Amino acid sequence: MTSQDSTPPVVVRLDGVRKEYGESTALDGVSLEIRAGEAVAVMGPSGCGKSTLLNMVAGLDRPTAGTVTVHGEDLGRLNETGLALFRRKRIGMIFQFFNLIDDLPALDNVALAAQLTGSAPAQARRRALELLGELGIADRRDTYPAALSGGERQRVAVARALMNRPALLLADEPTGALDSRAGEQVMDLLIDLNQLGQTLLMVTHDPRLATRCASRLIEFADGRIARESTLEPTP
Amino acid sequence: MSGAVWRASRAAVRRRRVQTFVIGLVVLTSTVALVVALGLLAAASGPFDRTFDRQRGAHLAATFDPAVTTAEQLTRAAHRPGVTAAAGPFAQTVVTVPPHLDTAADGDYHPPPGPVTVVGRADPGGPVDRVDVWSGRWATGPGEIVLMRPPGQTWAATEGIGRRLTLPGAPPLTVVGFASSLSQTAGAWVRPDQMPALHPTALQMLYRFDHAGTGAEVDEGRTTVTADLPTGALLGSLSYLTVKQDMTGTANAYLPFLTAFGVLGLVVAVLIVANVVSGAVVSGFRHIGVLKAIGFTPGQVVSVHLVMVLVPGTVGCVLGTVLGDLAARPMLRTVFMGFDNGYFEATLSPWAEVLTLLGMPVVVLLAALGPALRAHRLPAARAISAGSAPGTGRGLRVQRRLGGTRLPRAVSLGLGLPFARPGRTVMTLTALILGVTTVTVATGLSASVGAFLDATGSAYQSVSYVGDGASTTPPTDTDAEIEAKLRALPGTARLAAAAPVRVHLAGAPQPLRAWFLRGDREIARSALAAGRWYSGPDEAVVGAPFLKKHGVRVGDRLTLDLDGRQHTVTVVGETVAGDSDGLTAPWETLAALAPDLPATRYVNQYWVQVAPGTDVGAYNAAVKAAEPGLQPTVTGDGTSVTVSIVGSATVLTLLLAAVAALGVFNTTVLNTRERRRDLGMLKSIGMTPRQVTVMVVTSMAAVGVAGGLLGVPLGIAVHRLVVPAMADAMDTTLPAGALDVWHPSALALLVLAGTAIAVLGTLVPARSAARLTIAEVLHNE
Repeated sequence: MTSQDSTPPVVVRLDGVRKEYGESTALDGVSLEIRAGEAVAVMGPSGCGKSTLLNMVAGLDRPTAGTVTVHGEDLGRLNETGLALFRRKRIGMIFQFFNLIDDLPALDNVALAAQLTGSAPAQARRRALELLGELGIADRRDTYPAALSGGERQRVAVARALMNRPALLLADEPTGALDSRAGEQVMDLLIDLNQLGQTLLMVTHDPRLATRCASRLIEFADGRIARESTLEPTP
Repeated sequence: MSGAVWRASRAAVRRRRVQTFVIGLVVLTSTVALVVALGLLAAASGPFDRTFDRQRGAHLAATFDPAVTTAEQLTRAAHRPGVTAAAGPFAQTVVTVPPHLDTAADGDYHPPPGPVTVVGRADPGGPVDRVDVWSGRWATGPGEIVLMRPPGQTWAATEGIGRRLTLPGAPPLTVVGFASSLSQTAGAWVRPDQMPALHPTALQMLYRFDHAGTGAEVDEGRTTVTADLPTGALLGSLSYLTVKQDMTGTANAYLPFLTAFGVLGLVVAVLIVANVVSGAVVSGFRHIGVLKAIGFTPGQVVSVHLVMVLVPGTVGCVLGTVLGDLAARPMLRTVFMGFDNGYFEATLSPWAEVLTLLGMPVVVLLAALGPALRAHRLPAARAISAGSAPGTGRGLRVQRRLGGTRLPRAVSLGLGLPFARPGRTVMTLTALILGVTTVTVATGLSASVGAFLDATGSAYQSVSYVGDGASTTPPTDTDAEIEAKLRALPGTARLAAAAPVRVHLAGAPQPLRAWFLRGDREIARSALAAGRWYSGPDEAVVGAPFLKKHGVRVGDRLTLDLDGRQHTVTVVGETVAGDSDGLTAPWETLAALAPDLPATRYVNQYWVQVAPGTDVGAYNAAVKAAEPGLQPTVTGDGTSVTVSIVGSATVLTLLLAAVAALGVFNTTVLNTRERRRDLGMLKSIGMTPRQVTVMVVTSMAAVGVAGGLLGVPLGIAVHRLVVPAMADAMDTTLPAGALDVWHPSALALLVLAGTAIAVLGTLVPARSAARLTIAEVLHNE
C-alpha cells in the first residue's frame, strides 16, 4: 500500500461555489475539500457566509454556480426527493437551537430519523436507546424536550444526527445556546465522536469550540475563505 | 385609535397577506352561506302569513243574498267593532264553463270546464284582498275580464291575453290579465258595470278582523258582521284559515328541509369564522409578545389584533353580503315558485342582510376577543414563547403510541398532529361533521324525493294539451280522431286521455277537481298507499290529503255532483300523491255524471308513454305535425318543486362544503405555519417532500374521516327527522323505501366526502409545506 492509498478519501468537495441572494453574494467562489475523519471548524463574522456554506453541504440550499460533491454525490444533480434521501443517509445535523419536536419524548425524537427510512419502530427505538446510553442520557429517554436542560437537548439532537450513521456530521453553532458547562459537555462529545472517526464540519463563533474540537480552521470573510490553518488539539 | 395601533395593525395585515386573504375569503364565503341560510329561514317562516299580510288578505270572504239584504246594510255592518277593514259589497255570480271541444274553432280562450266565480271589482287594490295582477292589466273597460291564475302557472299566459272568452249567457269578454288572490275570493274579475250582463246572484264582502288567529275568532267576526243583518242574508263564507290549510301543505312540506339547511348553514358559517379568526390571533401570540416588549399597552395590543382581523373580516362580510344577496334572491324565487304555484312571495328579507352585516363582524370580533384577551393577560416573554413553540402535554400520549405503530412515520406523525391543538381540531372537526351532515341530508333527500317520484310520478313522457289557452290553433279533429292519430304515431307505447272536470261533493260549497281517465290508466300518476285501483264506474281513488280534509276513509262512499246530476262512488284506494281536492275515477263515471253531453268533450289532455329509445322531443314534433291544435310538452323526471328543492340542496351543500374546506385550509395553514421549524427539521433529517405532503394531508384526512364517521349518522338522523316531517306536512303517506335510501356503498362514499373535503382543503398548504426552504426556517429560529 502506497502513502497515497493511506490518505483518507474526500468526503466533501466544493468547487467554485457561488451563492447569491438577490443583490447580495453570500458565497463567492468557494472551493474546499474535507477528508474523512477530519474535524473542520468554520469561523467568521456574522453574514460572512458560513451558514450558507453549511446549507450547501447539507443540500438544504443550492448554489448559484459551482458544484458541491458529498461522498461522491454531486448534489446539483439531485432533485428535492434525492436531496432528502441523501440527507437521510449521509448527513447528520445539529443546530444551535436543537430543533427537537416538542410533542415527542427524547427517545422518539432520536428514533424518528431511522423511522423515516422505514425501520421498524422497535428496531429504531433500540438503536436510539443505545445512542442515548452512549451519550449518557438514557435515563432521560421518556422526557419531553421542554423538560430537558440545554445540554441534554443538544445531546438528544446529536443522537438523532448520528442515528443513521452519517458520513458527515454538520453542526451549526452547536454550543451557541448553551451555558459554559453544557457547552463543554457538547465539545467533549464532538471530540469523542471525531476520535471514533466521525467527520465533522462545524460553524461557530466560539474560538474555544474550534480550537478544542477541530483539526482544521477555515476563516470566512465576505463569502470567501480568508484563511485556512491546521490546529493542534488542546486539552 | 392611536397612530401606533393603526400603523401596527396595517403592518400586520400587510405582513400576513395569506392569512388576511384566508380570513377575508372565509368570512366572504361564510357570509354568502349565512345570507342564504338566514334568507331561507326567514322565507320558510310563515310564507302564507307574510304574503297574506302583504296582500291584506281577507280573514273572511262572505257572500250574501241580495234578495234578503242590501248593500247599505252590508256596508253598515262592516263598521262594527272588531272589523279593522272591509271591502265590498261586490256583485258576484257563478258561471259554469262548458266543455269546449265542439266550440273551439275560433281561437277563443277556454278555461277548464266547471263552475267559475266571477266578481265585479273596480280595482285590484283596496283595504282588503289586494289582488296581484301578475300578467296583463286589470279590467277597466266594458267587456274585459281578468282571470285568476296562480303566478307559477305562467305557461301560455301571454298568448291568453287579448283572447275572447265566452261564458254561458253572457256577452263575449276579452281576457286582459291574469291575477292571483291568496284569499281565493274569485275565479275571475270584471268591471262592476259589467256584472249586470252576467246576472249576479250574490254580494261579496271581504273582512279583516282585530283578532283572527283561530277559527273561533273568525267565527266570532262572522257573527259580528252578520248580527244586524236579516235572517238568511248570509249564503256562505270562507275563512282564511281554510284557505291557509289548503295552500300551505306543499310549502310546509319543505319548511323542515329549509329550516334544517338554514340552521346547518348558520352554524357552519359561524363556526368556521370563529375557528379562522381565533386561530389567526393565536398564531399571532408571538407578535403580541413583541409588541408588549416594545411598549404597547395590553389594550393597544388587543386593539392591533382586533383591527388586524376586522379589516379582512369587514371587507369579506360586505362583499359576502352582496354576493349572498345575488345568490339568495334567484334561489328563493326558484324554490318558492315551486310551492303552490308561486302564490307565496319569495323575497329576501332585508333582515337577513342587516343581521349578517351586523352579526358577522360581531362573530369575528368575539372570536378574536377570546384569544386576544388571553394574550392580553400573558407576560410578554410567555407570549413570545407561545408563538414559537407549542405547549407540552397535548396529545403526547397519542403521539407516543402512534410512534410505536408500524405505520409509515410520515403517516403516524400526521395522525398525531391534530392532537397538538385540540381546540382548533375540535372546531375544524365540528365544521367537517356539519359539512358531511349537510352532504348526507342533501343526498338522502334527493334519494327520498327520487323514491317519492318513483311512487308518485307519471310513467308518461309526453302530454298534449288542448284548450285552456294552451294553443292558439284549435284542434280540427274530434277526440276519437286525435286518440287514433296519437296511437298510430311511431313511438306511442301507451296512451291515456284525461278529462279534468270540476265537480262538487254533494252538500259541499267548494268544487273538487275530478280526473276522469280513459285508456291505459296504469300510466297515470300515483302508486297506491292503500286499497286498490278502481275497477268500475262506481269507484274512485283519492290521495291522503283528500281523506284528511274531507274526513273520509277508504271504503266510504262519495256523491259527486256535476250541474245537478249526481253519481255515487266508493273510495277504493289511497294514492301516495294527490291533493286535498283531487279525485281520480274511470271514464265511465264521467259518462254517468254527464249522460247528455259526450264525455269526450271534457278531454283536455292526452298522456303518452313512449316506447323505449324514442326521442320525446322528436315524438312531440310529430304530434304537433299530426294535429297542430295540440300543445305537446315533455314531462320532466321530477316536478318543479322537486327540482327546486334538489337544486337548492345542491347549491347549499356545495356552499357549505366549500366553507368547511376553507376551514380545513385555514387550520392547515396555521398548523403548518406553527410547525415550520418542525417541518424544516424533519426535512433536514431526510423527510422527502412527498412524505411532508403525506404527513400534512394525513393530519387533516384523519379529521376528515372522523368527520365522515360522525357526520354520516348525524345526517341520517336529520334525514329521518326531516323527511317524515315533510310527508306529515303534505299529509302524504311515505312510499316504501323513501326513508331507507342508504346503501353500504353510498355510506362509504359519504364518509369519504368528509375526507375529500378535508384533503381538498389541505392540498395547497401541504404542498407549500413540502416546498418549505429548510435553511431559512431553521436558521431564522
